[in-house]
Amino acid sequence: MPDEDTGDAVSSEAAEGALAYLTEMSADLRGAAIVGSDGAVLAASGDAGRWAEDVATLFATADQAGGEPVEQIHLGTEQGEVFALRHAGLAAVAVTERFALASLTFFDLRALLRDLAAGTPQSTFAVPEDGKSPTRRSRGRE
Amino acid sequence: MPPKPHRVLLDRVSGYADEAAAYMRRRRASRRLFARLYYEGGGAEDHATDSRAGGELFVSAGRLIELAGKRPKS
Repeated sequence: MPDEDTGDAVSSEAAEGALAYLTEMSADLRGAAIVGSDGAVLAASGDAGRWAEDVATLFATADQAGGEPVEQIHLGTEQGEVFALRHAGLAAVAVTERFALASLTFFDLRALLRDLAAGTPQSTFAVPEDGKSPTRRSRGRE
Repeated sequence: MPPKPHRVLLDRVSGYADEAAAYMRRRRASRRLFARLYYEGGGAEDHATDSRAGGELFVSAGRLIELAGKRPKS
């Protein structure tokens, strides 16, 4: 991976803030986790231990499937969709409702990891100047 | 000349049958599972559900979906 590995430098507080922001902004998101380069969960919605285990299994399975490290994973099932992304030594995994907009979800995850790696979390989305909380993104199809 | 009454009935029934078939086709397509892996160089791979890798990926996905649960109603 050519991206600089910054997974160890990111604090849990920053990751939790970024994850909370992502959860607030994404109407389709059910749960998500941010994992550092050592496999430790920096932030997760729920049981961090299980997220660590399941995310590690997912990436290991995907790496093995293609014979090389994957950058992005997109899995669709009847029950929901799973998006996973590696960037700058960090990894983000999101579980969404079925038919979430894939390009937007990957964009949000990538922006989140890029901001975390750069030390500027929660700047992914533009916040209105009037100080009101940003409106939640609507679903692609209702 | 107006169509015979039984033709009207047949047309209506076949219309309903077409609608039902289209609905089933859409439902099948929307329920189709998929597993796509993307690589750094821009390459991508699709893994079939009946392949070994695909099966393992769907098991992993199922665990994560179960872990995430349902989105709380706001």
